[in-house]
Amino acid sequence: MKGAALKLVMVGKRFNGKAGPTEALRDINLQISEGEFVTIVGPSGCGKSTLLNIVAGLETPTTGWVEMDGRRIHGPGADRIVVFQDGAVFPWLDVQGNIQFGLRVAGVPRSQREARVDEYIRMVQLEKFAHARIHELSGGMRQRVALARALVLRPSVLLMDEPFAALDVQIREEMQSVVQDLWLRSKTTTLFVTHDVREAAVLGGRIVVLSHRPGTVSAVLTNNAPRPRTLETPEVVEQIRRSNEILKAEVQWSNQPKIQL
Amino acid sequence: MMRGREPGSLARFRHLVPMVLVAVAFVGIWELIVRLQIWPRYLFPSPVDVASSLYDLWTQAVLLRAIGATLARLGVGFLISLVLGAILAFLMVHFQTFGKGIQPYVLGLQTFPSIAWVPLALIWFGFSEAALLFVTIIGSLFAVTVSFADALRTVPPVYLKAARNMGSDGMDLILRVTVPAALPHLISAAKIGWSFAWRSLIGAEVIFATVGLGFLVNQGRDALLLPQVMGMMVVILLVGVLVDRGIFSRTQEWASRRRGLLPSG
Repeated sequence: MKGAALKLVMVGKRFNGKAGPTEALRDINLQISEGEFVTIVGPSGCGKSTLLNIVAGLETPTTGWVEMDGRRIHGPGADRIVVFQDGAVFPWLDVQGNIQFGLRVAGVPRSQREARVDEYIRMVQLEKFAHARIHELSGGMRQRVALARALVLRPSVLLMDEPFAALDVQIREEMQSVVQDLWLRSKTTTLFVTHDVREAAVLGGRIVVLSHRPGTVSAVLTNNAPRPRTLETPEVVEQIRRSNEILKAEVQWSNQPKIQL
Repeated sequence: MMRGREPGSLARFRHLVPMVLVAVAFVGIWELIVRLQIWPRYLFPSPVDVASSLYDLWTQAVLLRAIGATLARLGVGFLISLVLGAILAFLMVHFQTFGKGIQPYVLGLQTFPSIAWVPLALIWFGFSEAALLFVTIIGSLFAVTVSFADALRTVPPVYLKAARNMGSDGMDLILRVTVPAALPHLISAAKIGWSFAWRSLIGAEVIFATVGLGFLVNQGRDALLLPQVMGMMVVILLVGVLVDRGIFSRTQEWASRRRGLLPSG
C-alpha cells in the first residue's frame, strides 16, 4: 500500500442552480506529496466537499484538472476512496459485508477477501461486531466501518469528507486518534475536509484554509507538531490559534459589503 | 412483543379473539334476519345454506380446481406485471426526461378501472386465458410501475455515490446497491401491485372465465344459487386475505426487521 501524489491545477467549479449560476470553487492549486496528511478547513459553503468529490472523480471540475502521480484522473476509481460524513455504510449488509463490498466489486477471491476483511475489522477494533447489522451500531462504530471499508481497498488516496462532524465530542476525539494511528501505520495520502479548526490542527501535516464562496486557497499552514498529537499538544494549540485568526479575517472580509464594479 | 409462557400455548392466538367475535356476531345477526323471513330464502339464504353449498363445491372438487386456476393465472399475470413494471420504473428513474414525459400517463392509467379493459381484451384475445392474463397484467402494471419508481427514488444518493466510488457501476450497482437499498419499499410496492392484479383478475373472471373463483360467482348468479354466490364471495375474501397476510405482510415485516426499521421481536 503506497500513497500517491496529488496535484490540483486551477480547479474551479460552477453550478447552474435555480437561483442562477454559483461559483463554488475558483483556481484551486495544490500539490500534495505521497504519504502526506492534508486537512482542508473552511467556513460552510466554501466548496470543500465539492473539492473532495472532484478529486474522487464523482464530480467534474468546470475548469482545471486533477493529477494523480502525474496522470490526469477521469471519473471515480477505487484508488481514491471517500469516507462520507454520514458514513454511507449500507444498512442491508452486516459489518463484514460492508467491509468486503469493494473487494467483491474488484473480484478478489473469497479466500483472500476473508483474511483481509478480518485484518481491517481488527484494525478498527470491531471484532465483536463482525456480524452486527448497521442499525445495531453507534455513530462512532459506523464511522469505523466506513473507515475499514475504505482502507481495506488499500487506496492510494484516502478522502475524508467531514467524517466525524455528526459525532459527539468525545467520540470525535477518539475517532481522530484512530485515524491518526491508522495513518501513522499506513502512510496513505490523506485529504481530510472539516469545518472544525481543532480537528484540522490535530490531524493535518498541512492545513489548507479555504475562503468563503467562491472557495479559494487563502492560506496553507505547515503543522510540524510531533505525532501522535492531541488537542493539548502545545504546537497544535498554537496552530489552532493561527488558523482561527485567518478564518476570522476571512469571514469578516466576506461579510463586508462588496463594491460593485 | 407479548409472548405466552410456552410458544405452543393458546396465548398466541389471543389477538385474534376480537376478530372472531365480530365474525360470530355477523353470522348471528345474519341468521337472525333470515329467521325473521323478510325476504324469501332463495334471495337471502342462511349461513348454513352458504356453508353447505361450499361443502358441496368442495366435495365435487370444483372449489379446489377453481382456486388453483385463479391462483395460477394470478401468479403468471402478476409476475409478468412485476417484470414489466420493474423495467419501466427503472427507465423512468434512470432517464429523467423519459420519466417526466411518461409519469402523467402512468399515473392516469393507474386510476383507470381494470374492468374497462375487458372489452378490448375480448376483441383482441377472444374468450381465452390470454384475455384474462391481459386484464390482470394491464390492471396492475401501472400501479406496480408507479410504486416501484417511488421505491427506487427512496434510495439515498450517497449510497450510490459510495458504491460508484468503490468501483461498482451498471448492473452491479443496480443489483448490489439500488435493489437492496430499496428492498423494503419494493416489497410494499409489490404488495400494492398484487392487490390490483387480484381485483382485476377476479373482475375479469366474473365477466368471462369458464373456470376459476370469479366464474363460480357468476355461475351461481346464472343458476340463481345465492348460497354459491355468497359462498364464493367469502372464498375470494379469504384467499385474498391469506395471500396478503401470509405472503406480502410477512416478507414486508422480514425486510423491515432486517434493516432495523421495526423493533426486533
